[in-house]
Amino acid sequence: MKTYNKIALSALGVIVFLLAWEAVARSGVVPARLLPSPSAVPAAFLTEFNSGTWQAMVLASLSHYLVGLSLGTFLGVSFGTAAALWGKWDAFQAWVVRMLRPIPAIAWIPFAIIWFGVSEGAASFLIALTVFWINYYASYAAVRGVDKDLIELGYAFGQGGLIPRLFKIILPGALPGILSGLRAGLGQGWMTVVAAELFGISGLGMRMMEASGLLATHIVVLYMVTIALLYGVSDFLFMQVQSRVLSWQR
Amino acid sequence: MAAVTLSKTAIASVIDLEDVSIGYGKDAPPVLVDVNLSIERGSFVAIVGPSGVGKSTLLRVVAGLHTARSGGVTIHQDQRPGHRPVGLVFQDARLLPWRRVIRNVEFGLEGLPVSRDERRRRAEAALKLVRLDGYARRWPYELSGGQRQRIGIARAMAVDPDILLMDEPFGALDAITRHNLQDELRRIHQETGKTVLFVTHDLEEAVHLADRIIVLGGTPARVVRDVRNSAGRDGAVFRDQVEQLRSEIADNYSI
Repeated sequence: MKTYNKIALSALGVIVFLLAWEAVARSGVVPARLLPSPSAVPAAFLTEFNSGTWQAMVLASLSHYLVGLSLGTFLGVSFGTAAALWGKWDAFQAWVVRMLRPIPAIAWIPFAIIWFGVSEGAASFLIALTVFWINYYASYAAVRGVDKDLIELGYAFGQGGLIPRLFKIILPGALPGILSGLRAGLGQGWMTVVAAELFGISGLGMRMMEASGLLATHIVVLYMVTIALLYGVSDFLFMQVQSRVLSWQR
Repeated sequence: MAAVTLSKTAIASVIDLEDVSIGYGKDAPPVLVDVNLSIERGSFVAIVGPSGVGKSTLLRVVAGLHTARSGGVTIHQDQRPGHRPVGLVFQDARLLPWRRVIRNVEFGLEGLPVSRDERRRRAEAALKLVRLDGYARRWPYELSGGQRQRIGIARAMAVDPDILLMDEPFGALDAITRHNLQDELRRIHQETGKTVLFVTHDLEEAVHLADRIIVLGGTPARVVRDVRNSAGRDGAVFRDQVEQLRSEIADNYSI
């Protein structure tokens, strides 16, 4: 299929989805309170935008997201790589990882509040936690999967020391896998933003809670759409960078 | 355990192996025993023998990738600065897919006391040597199998090694490409005068290329024959030499 046709079909899908939604909302089958029509969203946006609330919420969430994402990614990649490289360290931390891994980020909310208060730090902490695990496992698998023959090549040509081995062979070799982890973390991070802000930290999630308390469902939808767009933009930008970084791949 | 010793005394031989025995694992029986070899500077030596006999292992020991169980391995390194004792060519070209061709050729030069410009200059010269100087900016995936193998040779030659080690370098290529690369290698050997240690299971290839052929055989394997060869490519002499080696190997073959 041609790129042009693909884009046209995707656009058509979105339009059909919105039209169907609008039709159901207008038909009166479902009360307007329970299902706001999409056409109510632009008006909600203008109100929120003119009062400056929308911008403030987006900026607040964006800052939690970026801090949490960078911290979680950096630590996740580092710990995952270290565990994959050194068997002893791997064995040492294996059961700690197994115990901590299944605890979802929202289960840490009580501790986040106790440690950081209802603050920016608490939200960033929860996001970092989610992103950490995704990157930890992705990097671990990616580093483990690096072709052993290439590592031997390094030894044969005097690049067997830890630093050249790590930076010239292992990390470049693991890069595609590490980047898929980064991408998954990018999406999961946005999901956690909402959860982390539901308990009152300023941001998109908090605003959604406020609006739903007032049954202002069209505002809830506005912020849902906002998150979807923010995710879409970050994923798109990431893909641009990724295709550049991995241009050596067929 | 005996690692490779680097000696700075320039003598006629490049490598000396003394009573080398090689094995994997602590208690496993040795694979290769009593290897005593002295390889002259500038010679082209082929190591042949049935598969599993330890040809590649012997090469890996010389390359410093595997440690001999006992005995001495000495490489008499030349005094010139900025070069490595060995340059290794693998059966699979083993290029780094995330580096362009020129950066792959530079790979072995990177740990050496060589300036950036010098490194580039030497890599370009090595590419020219394998006749792929127009391919510097290509990615490995854009090359054919034969071209990749040439880049592998260029990478090994770029470090200006005392000895070029080749582990069945043409084994995975089609017959025509293999023939072309054999001719190329012969030309490179004549032009540069490099010592070549070449592992192959293809007797025709060994007789065609090498001026000395070492046959490994038996269990555990040892050197069963060490012959001078000047049979060249065609004619009765060539066929005789190949047939003779074939029977030598058959005599010493056991599973």
